Amino acid sequence: MSDPTQFEELVLPHLNAAYNLARWLTRDVNDAEDVVQDACVRALKYVGSLDGSDARPWFLTIVRHAFYDWCKRNRPAEMARDDGTAIDMAVDPAAVDPEQALLRTAESKALSDAVEALPLAYREVLILRELEELSYKEIARIADIPIGTVMSRLARARGLLQRSPLLRAVN
Amino acid sequence: MNCKQLETLVAACADGEVDALRSYSVKRHLHACAGCAAMHRNILALRARIRSEVTYFAAPPALQARVRATVGAMRAAAPPRSSPRSDRWRWLTGGVLAGCTASVFAWMLGTTVLAWHADEELAGAAVAAHVRATLGDHLIEVASSDRHTVKPWLSARLDYSPPVQDLANEGFTLIGGRLDYLERRPVATLVYRHGKHTIDVFVRPETSRASTQAPRAVRGFNVAHASGPSMDWLAVSDAEPAELSAFVQRLAHEGISQ
Repeated sequence: MSDPTQFEELVLPHLNAAYNLARWLTRDVNDAEDVVQDACVRALKYVGSLDGSDARPWFLTIVRHAFYDWCKRNRPAEMARDDGTAIDMAVDPAAVDPEQALLRTAESKALSDAVEALPLAYREVLILRELEELSYKEIARIADIPIGTVMSRLARARGLLQRSPLLRAVN
Repeated sequence: MNCKQLETLVAACADGEVDALRSYSVKRHLHACAGCAAMHRNILALRARIRSEVTYFAAPPALQARVRATVGAMRAAAPPRSSPRSDRWRWLTGGVLAGCTASVFAWMLGTTVLAWHADEELAGAAVAAHVRATLGDHLIEVASSDRHTVKPWLSARLDYSPPVQDLANEGFTLIGGRLDYLERRPVATLVYRHGKHTIDVFVRPETSRASTQAPRAVRGFNVAHASGPSMDWLAVSDAEPAELSAFVQRLAHEGISQ
């Protein structure tokens, strides 16, 4: 049943989580809003299938799907960069404007920039793990990958952050 | 286990994904191994930094308003709902009703298909009987244009008495009759001449299958069917389907008055 009441009770409380994920995936406030709006329309349609399962990972799965559909239309290059094992580059060059990075002095900015600079596949598992505090199992379901892949991507993301030139410049 | 193998386990431990027993053995290893202990520390330190320094973006009020507007529009479009409990019942009864409807529909479809199959089979058998009779020398066993001769001859050989009419004045001349065999039963067969065409009419006590069907073509022959209150007529011929159909209807109509 596509029930607005059910949506308001179960899904809407997780709007912040949805927006946070969309914001970290798109790296843009306006694009994030569009993705979340699209995800909400989808969630409204399918909220009937939610019965019994946890609403937050369910909603985040929809947000992620909405993002990838949006990405396919608007940033196909980013998706192409992220496929397969070719993601060995430490920094997504499209993400950070070096001049702006120099202007940013606060340490917290440096870490945020480093997270933004992570390739998409690593960024999403890191956000889901460290900011959403979801379990490996939930992340695996949301990102539609095996748990082993969640673990290896997480390890890679952490390694990239720890070695990030953006962080090293500050430290 | 060496440290390389332990790497993922150490990370999983830091993520709280390892059960108590294995967590204990990992922690014992961390006490003994400086490398793994540093890795464990780094993960926890990075997490602490991420959680304090990396922004958790809250949905801006404008987005919340936008989403609520969408929900409001949906609510306006959807019919008003009562409580969730009665909703559940509504869905349950809806499901039951849908199930019943589906079953009835499937049954009707099934019987229709079966009936259609049976009709198809009957038409095929009637054509086969007609062809057999015309090929051999067996078309007519009682040769008479007098229905008062044909009818008693058939009645004497069957457990029913078929109505027999001569419609010579309408162009369908009775030329005789024979006993044939349809659907595992002997059947009265009247033979008519219409122009150059021979028409076999199988007359049977009414079968459960009712309704008059449109004439159908089987291997180049036309088969027309009509049923009255107590009898069933099935005509096979190479005559025009429309003519054949009209003829068999006429027989059925006349048969009622006999």
